[in-house]
Amino acid sequence: MLAIENLAFCYPQTEKPALSGVSLEAARGQVLGLLGPNGAGKTTIISHLSGALQVQQGSISIDGLPLAEVRRKTPTRIAVAPQEYAFYPMLTVSENLECFASAGGLGGARKQQRIKECLAFAQLERFAATRGERLSGGLKRRLNLAIALLPEPELILLDEPTVGVDPQSRAFLLEAVKTLANNGAAVIYTSHYMEEIEAIADRVVIIDDGKVLCDGTLAELLGGGETQVRMAVDGVDETRLRALLEGFGKVDSLKAEWRVSLVQDKTASALLAAVEAAGGEIRYAEFGRNNLEHLFMALTLRSLRD
Amino acid sequence: MLFALIKKELLALIRDVHGLAALFLLPTVFIIIMSLALKDVYSPPVKSLPYAVENRDNGKLAVTLVEEWEKRHGKPQKYSADGKPPDNWKAAVQSGKLSYALVIEKDFSNVIVDEKLADGIRVRLITDPGLDGSAFAANKAELVMIASEMRAQALLAMSRTQLAQQSQMIQQAQQARRQPAVQPSQPPSPKASDVPVTVTAQALVDSERLAAGSRPTAVQQNVPAWLVFGMFFVVASLSNLFIQERQCGALARLASLGVPIHVMIWSKAIPYLWINGLQAALMLAVGVWMMPLLGGDALSLQGINWGALALVLLGVSMAAISMALALASLVRTSAQAATIGPVVNILMAALGGVMVPKFVMPDFMQKISEFSPMNWGLEGMLDVLLRGSDMAGVVQPVSRLMGFAALMVVATAILFRRRVN
Repeated sequence: MLAIENLAFCYPQTEKPALSGVSLEAARGQVLGLLGPNGAGKTTIISHLSGALQVQQGSISIDGLPLAEVRRKTPTRIAVAPQEYAFYPMLTVSENLECFASAGGLGGARKQQRIKECLAFAQLERFAATRGERLSGGLKRRLNLAIALLPEPELILLDEPTVGVDPQSRAFLLEAVKTLANNGAAVIYTSHYMEEIEAIADRVVIIDDGKVLCDGTLAELLGGGETQVRMAVDGVDETRLRALLEGFGKVDSLKAEWRVSLVQDKTASALLAAVEAAGGEIRYAEFGRNNLEHLFMALTLRSLRD
Repeated sequence: MLFALIKKELLALIRDVHGLAALFLLPTVFIIIMSLALKDVYSPPVKSLPYAVENRDNGKLAVTLVEEWEKRHGKPQKYSADGKPPDNWKAAVQSGKLSYALVIEKDFSNVIVDEKLADGIRVRLITDPGLDGSAFAANKAELVMIASEMRAQALLAMSRTQLAQQSQMIQQAQQARRQPAVQPSQPPSPKASDVPVTVTAQALVDSERLAAGSRPTAVQQNVPAWLVFGMFFVVASLSNLFIQERQCGALARLASLGVPIHVMIWSKAIPYLWINGLQAALMLAVGVWMMPLLGGDALSLQGINWGALALVLLGVSMAAISMALALASLVRTSAQAATIGPVVNILMAALGGVMVPKFVMPDFMQKISEFSPMNWGLEGMLDVLLRGSDMAGVVQPVSRLMGFAALMVVATAILFRRRVN
């Protein structure tokens, strides 16, 4: 449905591009998890899709049509639920929905029906007469989502929709997002919570420094289920230890931590026994399947971004 | 779409108690306080008022009167480039450029020294209705005083001359008879002492303060001034909501839903046109009905041209709203809006003759004052409420206000687009 190809963008009066050569796709019925540290370029991509930024280089298309044309003719095909509470705090829940429904071109019975459906979807019926400013964090997030869904968009952009909400609201929101995709919408979901992405994303794109670092399904990105051992070892010199570990699989090291992706016939216990037999003192060891957080940290490195 | 956004704007405004207080309570309180405070006490700034003189007599005493007036009030304004006086002084003064005109009629120099003081007005003082009542009274009293002093001096000089002539005649007669001088038992001038002579020149002076059937009062001055000020105060509440919805992303959300920029701008302008209309109705009602209850003078709307009033109010409202939109689009934070908006308003009010009447200001300040949109609005209101202008008579201030509004709307469209994105 959505295809971004070689998108590059540089903000005025900055030398470093915010995006360079970004390509990704989002399909109907799927949740695309968009991950990246602060300043990676996520917001710049969302700003392009919401129409706030014009394409400088590359292309963005919706079902083969340029984004600018789609936005001009049918802007409500794409909806954005920004990270901020993008509604009027002094208006009630239903007044907010009325206002944005009309702004999205809905009217008459259709408008009332969509307001009712979105209130029900976000389970906000009991709070219809409550002013936005008096809602809890979780309810505000749900109202933000309900407003985005009013015009029945085909592509929904959710920018960190669970920031500052309690676990119950988070579980509700994740379930709601999954439902949207199951109903046929294409969803792009950005978050810093890796477990959320793992829970709902069908595909994951990790970006950093304005570039796509990896793009694929979770299974593809997490190595197809191979076991990884992570450990720190004292008492054995680095060259000797690397040679030893390479007998068990692919070896990476990050500062003092060693990571070994075990080949098919090797086991973690055999690896640890071999290290100890070589005189190594194991300070800590973890093993199991790779997870998204490890992948994310490995790809984006650990340096602070803000 | 537009209706929904207007409804949103009105709901937001109604729920902003502080904003409502600033829009309605502040100008009402100003009108009441200033009107009562200035009801009786005023120090007329008569020495610096712009005026013109036409001397139709050109006799010696008429020239003396003009010179004396110039000594006290400075040089008069020129009536026109060719030096030709206007056909109608009332119209010239009502235009608002002059505070008053002094017209000395033919035969003034002869009549003022005539002992019998012939009937008929010989000096006219034609005054702008916008001039404070005390200033008008002071000018009139001063003119009568100068004319009376001139008449007294002239009569005294004549009396002395007659005395000297009679005394000389008596001496000549005594010398001719060679008789010792005798003290006259009778006053030498039966003519001068027996016939009462009116010294005051009050009967020669006519003073007129132009108005549309009503007399200017502190209320008549303060209601238009503070109404204009209050209408410009929409900047505070309008920019506050604008920044709030910009910061929370609601404006970007509207833009992403395809709401055109001009609809967003109109949805903000239209509610405030209504608000300005309500403000005008309330302030005028306070002047007409509430001020008399508080012991002040009543605002008189008798004989005014309602179409002209509506036109001026529309001009003020459009100028105020467009400036509010431009300022709201210019500033980045609520703190900036809360500071810049009121400061700009107060400066415009101070310069525009709202806080300090324009005629009190020195010349260079009066020229600066003419650049303030509040001054255009105030002059337009005074044209209607005091000078009896019709719709044609307020074209100039209304055109300025509309031109200013057009400029501000263009600036708003450019800045608004940038802020939304």
